[in-house]
Amino acid sequence: MISARLHWLIGIGIVIVAAVLPFVFSNFTTSQILTRALILGLAAASLIFLASLGGWVSLAQLGLYGVAGFTVGNLVQADGGAKVFAMDIWLASLLALVVTVLVGLLIGVIASRSEGIYFLMITLAFGVIIKLLFEKATDLSGFGGINQIIQPAVLGSAQLDPERIYWVCLAICVLVYLGIRYFAHTPFGLAFQGIRDNTPRMRALGYNVTLIRTVAFGIAAFIAGLAGVLNVWWNTQISPGTIDIGPVIFLLMIAIIGGLYRIEGAWVGALIYVILDNRLRSVDLVGERVATALGIVFLLIVLLSPGGVMGIYKSLASRWRRSRSESGAARDGDGTAAPTVAGD
Amino acid sequence: MNIRNKRWGWLSATLLIIIIGIVAAACGGSDSSSADTAAADTAAADTAAVETAAAAPEKKIVMGFLSNCEGPFGPFWDATLAGYYTALVQFAGATPVDPADPKAGVTGAMVPGTEIPIEINTDYGCSDDKADKALSEAKRLVEQEGVNILIGPLSGDEGIAVANYAKTQPDVTFLNGISGAQDTTLKVQAPNFFRFFTDGAQWTAGLGAYAYNVLGWRTAVTIGDDYSFPYTQTAGFVSEFCSLGGKVTDRIWPALGETDYSSYIAKLPNDVDGFFLDVGGTGTVQFVNQYTEVNGNDSLQGKVMGGAFISNPAIIKELGSKVEGVVAGSALPSDATDANWTTYVDAITAAFPDQAGNAANIFLAGYYNNTQAAILGLGAVGGNIDDAAAFQSAIAGVEISTGVGPVTVDGNRNAVGANYVVQVSDKGATTLFTVPDVDQSFGGAFSADTPNPDRDNPKCVAGNPPPWAASITK
Repeated sequence: MISARLHWLIGIGIVIVAAVLPFVFSNFTTSQILTRALILGLAAASLIFLASLGGWVSLAQLGLYGVAGFTVGNLVQADGGAKVFAMDIWLASLLALVVTVLVGLLIGVIASRSEGIYFLMITLAFGVIIKLLFEKATDLSGFGGINQIIQPAVLGSAQLDPERIYWVCLAICVLVYLGIRYFAHTPFGLAFQGIRDNTPRMRALGYNVTLIRTVAFGIAAFIAGLAGVLNVWWNTQISPGTIDIGPVIFLLMIAIIGGLYRIEGAWVGALIYVILDNRLRSVDLVGERVATALGIVFLLIVLLSPGGVMGIYKSLASRWRRSRSESGAARDGDGTAAPTVAGD
Repeated sequence: MNIRNKRWGWLSATLLIIIIGIVAAACGGSDSSSADTAAADTAAADTAAVETAAAAPEKKIVMGFLSNCEGPFGPFWDATLAGYYTALVQFAGATPVDPADPKAGVTGAMVPGTEIPIEINTDYGCSDDKADKALSEAKRLVEQEGVNILIGPLSGDEGIAVANYAKTQPDVTFLNGISGAQDTTLKVQAPNFFRFFTDGAQWTAGLGAYAYNVLGWRTAVTIGDDYSFPYTQTAGFVSEFCSLGGKVTDRIWPALGETDYSSYIAKLPNDVDGFFLDVGGTGTVQFVNQYTEVNGNDSLQGKVMGGAFISNPAIIKELGSKVEGVVAGSALPSDATDANWTTYVDAITAAFPDQAGNAANIFLAGYYNNTQAAILGLGAVGGNIDDAAAFQSAIAGVEISTGVGPVTVDGNRNAVGANYVVQVSDKGATTLFTVPDVDQSFGGAFSADTPNPDRDNPKCVAGNPPPWAASITK
């Protein structure tokens, strides 16, 4: 109980510190490190949502993120893309989320019938299909991507007021995080986790497994879509390269570095990835071999802590608790968003 | 217990490594954030009160480099660096640190005619052919490293994204590396983005007129990989060939990376005079092998015009007599012996002897041209870049000396320069003739209002041939 309260306090503390960071750091750091980490973290959260609650690793999340981004780019005034709508950015963003959820449900209907490696392969295939679709349909993706996508006026200029989009991203990330934690406790969320743990039993109990999984995939698509919309608000640009196979793998890396079974891990992984990506280049030994260096960091983390950085945190926390009360059973303090199950 | 302790040791060690890494990164970040603030202050001073501007010290010149060290163009990283540094050695009096390794950089670069140093940022921008990556690297160099003259990027989509970004950074001057999309200058038109090397369509200048006037073609088919670069190259051929009265009856677009071209070859009609071939990479070899298997070893001669891919020495070596006689467009001659070319090759040899063989490599030449333009522009303003607009208008006025002769830029800040029509032989590619003063608009066929080159555009329309077409005759 105390531990759960402590976790909430830590969480609130982190959000408060995060909210004042733009006053401490330069515009560049706020925009290119912090905001980028929040957006990538949000995309990774959609992946971890499915992994932690559903036991599924999906490689289609970045594709869905792209669907949202390209939809916004095509509906508003921008350089490239359909160029016929010039819709209001808020309406376009809302429509983009609707389209993304519909695409997510469609993928979910097909993919939810599979498990494990087959699910991974099917979602990878969808990710590649979405990328190829936008690459080939230049009417939708422009000649060199969609550029100069307008931003909501309230965000001001990305160069001069980078803190505004940062705060918007932070607020949405906090809401999504709380939403996922809430979802885990709802009957629907519990049924979803039940399916992860014992599918035949849930089916025998009368649950419509395919429907529940499809809807959960739609929710994950919504989270990925939010990240995709925020990405074009922030970067004012998207091209098929954004959702290529390389970035898909990097998103998976972010989730695994952070910890595939803890929602918080999404943002931890994203922050580590973004900082390393930005700073490793300046290390003489690394230079242009950034991808190799990232790969080594990834390997180290996976080898030493399969639960990622959040796994290390969790282990240290439970060790600390054990040392405080020798007899206390090492039970995870809150254990809500991290219902890790042996053999899962 | 012992095992558990060991495991904890490992875990703690990892955690420690990560924490050290992040702290080190954060320290690096805070260093540059102060540089950022300084840069922002300077920028504010420029736009604010006059007395502040007068009191502020002259802006330091920091030159940055953005190319591809990963992805499909990663192998050209050294060549692009060699082009960049050769220009600094030749025109800014710099000395290579290690003539065998362009990455090691140069020392002592100065604005020509002054003692003002040009600071070279060595935290190179490293992209991977993706617009996002190029953009985030450009932002890192400009906003974090304080670069105020950026040379790059390398490929098409990257160029468009960086040119758009340039519009948000009017105090920074951008010069393209070797990205070849038309849009970058023709449509984006950022006032502070320059390209002192011709675009992908300009590299086919002269081919359409050669096919129509010299070979007597009246109908043609195009076949090229299904993505933006072949669209642009095909656009150059189609617009010139059609403007003279030729007809393009079909445009065939195999997927990039196709390994079996038999169905496409079957689609090529027999009743046309020839075709424009722009299938790249390993696809060129596969296509030609399959085509000649069906139609005979000498079946390509007189029947094929090629884009930038087919005159590549490696392709010629691989295909030998099968491509003998094929005519192609090229931005650089590989067999030139005139003074321009010799001076250019000598400059590379003097700076980086191992790179002399790359003289005819457009990746090296593109970075060389653009860096040279930046240096000459700096010379023209005496190294004073406090007034970015004045510096940029000085760059717009410079005439650079390149391996293909003088190059200037047009109103959209895109190069106007020579192009080559070459013929493949067993010795490599021999220049048939030079097309001087090729401009981006192809005599008005391309403008900011025309549709982007794609599978169906530009349309095949007769009339208004480009100015060079009339002089290409038998």
